[in-house]
Amino acid sequence: MGLFDAIGIAGSGLTAERIRMDVTAENLANADTTKGANGKPYQRQEVVLAQDGSAGGFEGALSGALQRTSAQQGGVQVTGIISDTSPDQQVYDPGNPEADAKGYVTLPNVSTVTEMTDLISEQQSYQSDVTAMQTSKTMFTSMLGILK
Amino acid sequence: MALVDSTQQLLEAAMRGSWQRETALTNNIANADTPGYQRQEVNFESALQGAMNGGESASQVEFHTETEPQETGPNGGSVSIDQESAKLAENGLDYQAVTQVLNARNEIMRAAMGVQS
Repeated sequence: MGLFDAIGIAGSGLTAERIRMDVTAENLANADTTKGANGKPYQRQEVVLAQDGSAGGFEGALSGALQRTSAQQGGVQVTGIISDTSPDQQVYDPGNPEADAKGYVTLPNVSTVTEMTDLISEQQSYQSDVTAMQTSKTMFTSMLGILK
Repeated sequence: MALVDSTQQLLEAAMRGSWQRETALTNNIANADTPGYQRQEVNFESALQGAMNGGESASQVEFHTETEPQETGPNGGSVSIDQESAKLAENGLDYQAVTQVLNARNEIMRAAMGVQS
């Protein structure tokens, strides 16, 4: 168990939440994009989170063999950004140049309301990670106070 | 009375346990949105209590980070961010209380040794 483990873990949480916010912002920005890079409507992106250091790598295997519990405490990591495969929205808008023969435009599967609530949740998680980091700092400072 | 008595060892062990608990709680908060994550906890108080009742030295006690399987929320994880924040704040205050007591004891010892601080 290292001295700065807690600060590193809170840092990993900050990184993960930041990436989630980036992806949410991308979803919001492309909420009405009818033609993506592949010519199809934009697909909503989602971040996949996983607990870090739970089993991976040499260090994890060694610590597991030695039955050291500290190796399990590695924070959080982003394992991937995946596309949401839920169906696109069909909106009747015959004047739109992207409309099909029946007058329907295929819009991305992005719901602005969902994205905004996700954004709030991400912001609060970020704030919690900052608070955790500050608590660690306070504890560290009071530990150093013993040396005075 | 030895210079490092059992109270001193107990306070040091409490600092150690509290620090480990802080790491576990921070990990819970970082994984608040991780699907399937089970919260971790360090029950260092009960470990210390057990060592004291068994007449063991507090400095020999090892604390274990335990995974607590609990009822899960909508994302399959078991972290409640408000409870974790409350525990984190409590643990931080605990730690500061212990360090203050250690500081006070050090002051007494310095005074007894005639060291000007």
